[in-house]
Amino acid sequence: MTAFLSSSFMHNIFGGLATGVIYSLVALSLVIIWQSTHVLNFAQGAMAMLATYIGMTEIDRGIGYWWCVIISVVVGMALGGLTERVLIRPLYGKPEINPIVVMVGFLGVLEALAAAIWTSTTRNITEPFSQIYYQDHGHLVFLSAFIVFQILLAIGIMLLVAALFRFTKLGLQLRASALAPEVSRLLGIRVGRMLTIGWMLSAGVGAVAAVIVASGNFGLFPTDMDGIFVAGFIAAAVGGLESPIGAVAGGLLIGLAEQFILAYWSPNVAPLGGIIILVLALMIRPQGLFSKSVSRRV
Amino acid sequence: MNWWRTLSRQETTNSRVVAVLALTILTLLVTIFLPPVADSELAGGAAIAIVILGLSWLTGWSGQISLGNSGFMAVGAYAAGIWAHHHASTPLIFTLVLALVAGGLSGLVIAIPSTRLRGPYLAGMTLAFSAAVTPLAQNFTSVTGGEGGIFLNSLVTPKWFEHLFHGANASINANAQWTADLAVVVAGVMFFFMANLFHSRAGRSMRLVRDNDVAAELMGVHLARTRTMAFVVSAAFAGVGGALYSLLEASVRPETFPLTLSITLLTLMVLGGIGTLSGAVIGGIIFSFSANLVAHVNSLTGVNPTSNLGANMQGIIFGVLLIVTMIFAPRGIVSLSSPLRRLWRARRPLSVTQEVQ
Amino acid sequence: MIKVDDLSVNYGAVRALREVSFDAPTGQITAVLGANGAGKTTLLRTISGLVKPRNGDVHLDETNLIGMATENIARLGVGHVPEGRGVIEELTVEENLRLGALSAKVNLAEGLSEQYERFPVLGERRRRHCSTLSGGERQMLAMARALIARPRVLLLDEPSLGLAPQVTAQLMRTIRELCENEDLTVLLVEQNAKSALRIAHRAVVLHLGSVVANGDAQSVAADDDLRRYYLGVVVS
Repeated sequence: MTAFLSSSFMHNIFGGLATGVIYSLVALSLVIIWQSTHVLNFAQGAMAMLATYIGMTEIDRGIGYWWCVIISVVVGMALGGLTERVLIRPLYGKPEINPIVVMVGFLGVLEALAAAIWTSTTRNITEPFSQIYYQDHGHLVFLSAFIVFQILLAIGIMLLVAALFRFTKLGLQLRASALAPEVSRLLGIRVGRMLTIGWMLSAGVGAVAAVIVASGNFGLFPTDMDGIFVAGFIAAAVGGLESPIGAVAGGLLIGLAEQFILAYWSPNVAPLGGIIILVLALMIRPQGLFSKSVSRRV
Repeated sequence: MNWWRTLSRQETTNSRVVAVLALTILTLLVTIFLPPVADSELAGGAAIAIVILGLSWLTGWSGQISLGNSGFMAVGAYAAGIWAHHHASTPLIFTLVLALVAGGLSGLVIAIPSTRLRGPYLAGMTLAFSAAVTPLAQNFTSVTGGEGGIFLNSLVTPKWFEHLFHGANASINANAQWTADLAVVVAGVMFFFMANLFHSRAGRSMRLVRDNDVAAELMGVHLARTRTMAFVVSAAFAGVGGALYSLLEASVRPETFPLTLSITLLTLMVLGGIGTLSGAVIGGIIFSFSANLVAHVNSLTGVNPTSNLGANMQGIIFGVLLIVTMIFAPRGIVSLSSPLRRLWRARRPLSVTQEVQ
Repeated sequence: MIKVDDLSVNYGAVRALREVSFDAPTGQITAVLGANGAGKTTLLRTISGLVKPRNGDVHLDETNLIGMATENIARLGVGHVPEGRGVIEELTVEENLRLGALSAKVNLAEGLSEQYERFPVLGERRRRHCSTLSGGERQMLAMARALIARPRVLLLDEPSLGLAPQVTAQLMRTIRELCENEDLTVLLVEQNAKSALRIAHRAVVLHLGSVVANGDAQSVAADDDLRRYYLGVVVS
């Protein structure tokens, strides 16, 4: 058992899960937005980064870790809601290229803005749990209190989101607005408000992912979320962009794949792992592995 | 062979060819009088205009969007750079054809799994590609020079050119002008090809696919093949542009092709106007002047150019421009002057539906 | 009471409704009849605020509905069962019903049991996804979902579409009972003029967007010319 827990195989499993949950969170946040507004938010990573940066300025003033997390999430949600109202709402009904282009532009603005205000160097939050690896009879197990926390926090957020959608009135309205906006309006549901709330939720989930990155060993820099966004997108796309469970599973899969490529080949080749998985997934089922709908949305 | 005929045969209206030719010659004349710095900025703009044109063709004519053209640029640049590094005496034209082929092939590799994808999927997939290209290139250090990149000899100005314009001395001026002229000629040739492509049968079926793929399929257009072709052409143009840009810089380095380059390309395309030759020209011109433009904004607002804000001003300006243009003038800044637009529209050939009947 | 006054709707250059005026009294069923493309669905969609008219007014009692947002019209007590029923297939029967009750100030448990009593088959399938329901069951669900909010007005768009004749007959009886028991104002859009006229109190006939007849159902039903030219009913 000792040998097994500290083996390089388990090292890679733990490492893969630790990155995988971050990808899963981003993927989940993308699915929430996609379901409600059919926009793939290219600025999702950058929005989360900015929210976390703002949270971090407060931690510099001596507030605790948890307050920083809460501030980041709240700022993220506000930013998400504002983005939907100001940038996305004028574009409903326009060609699907328009919101893509606008969000790509927003991504550029946010990253440049963050670098302008806080420089492009790495910033991090002092983590609330130890980053020192556990030991098992003198052998290193590549799992620290922080990594356990990171995985549990991500799982907790996912369960929270799932419960919200599944069991609450708000969740029912969110689902209905996404599935059938016109019918929902005929039933008196304020669909416009639901879209804004969907964006807020999504940005909040994204902010949690960025907070985890910022608390980790390597910290967060303005363009840091680009790669994470790409991995999160691939995870969501593997699941078909519509399935929250697919997105979470896809995130874990890509985290593990990258970790193994990184360990057995080269860190530079790791980004290919996601692409290969996506291509394979699309060849098996073009509409996504977890998607129920067969018809193409035009 | 069919393709070669489509590209080279003059199917387009004469006026368009004349316009491309006239603009090329005019720009060549302008390079004589520009200072060396402006000449080299112009050269960079010409290279980028080729890339924008390829992207514009993909987005404007086939309705697909790509955030991967910075990746295709990198492929073309590395192909040209690696070749030129080992075979310095190869004529430029050969190196550029190599970049064209390499770019096109990488486009094919991406297109095959991607043609079934639409809008956001495609954008995400191509983004993933361009995010992976430069780390991948760095992985093969022995060939690509890793993080440092490949350094090349600068393009040599032929003696006759120096003598023609600058007598026996002033070799810096002559070299800047020569490289600018080379870039402009290459761009002119690529624009000529694209002008033909726009009005070829392939171009028309492309637009049909963009506007209504179901109808296009019923009319016998092969959807996957048409979309793949659009991608390959776009990537080939990006390959040539990327290679040209790197040859002008005399180096191929990973940091020339960051993810933000895709944003820049998109911005330039949207600003100029999607799917038009003139749009790509305008995009290229804006790129040439972007450094000046940013410096100007910095001095107007009193921002220290070496401060954080000053250093990131370009990202902020380009991002804001992209958002504002897309929301308020999605046809590009050309569309803002409606008399010009009317002139442009009057020149347009018959609409697709009329032609296909 | 619904009062439609001088209502005109354009889709681009196409005039979908031309100066349509009629009243739909409280506690009565008003059938809106006409061929395909006569403007029947457009009329209901305009009342619900989904389509903006070029001109004209729609009053629900004293309130002008024109210019109001669809969700606010629904909250005023206008239940709209759209063409094709608008059942959300990915949700369960009960979730669809809960959606109907959400925006109205009604007791959910009471409303549910009331609807399950009225449509027992829905109670049996409450946890099933709506994609498994038959056409008749979907229509019942759509009606129940509108009724659970205790509406004052019910707009029904082609409820008989795709249903077997016996199911249609049953449905029409239910609509008539509802109208009488709940004092509802019902606007019933139908292509199936025969079965609609059997239960309606009043009838409005539309042709190419204009009202060609407006009166009590019996007299419309008795008018051979109307039936021949506009309603596609073979005169025996």
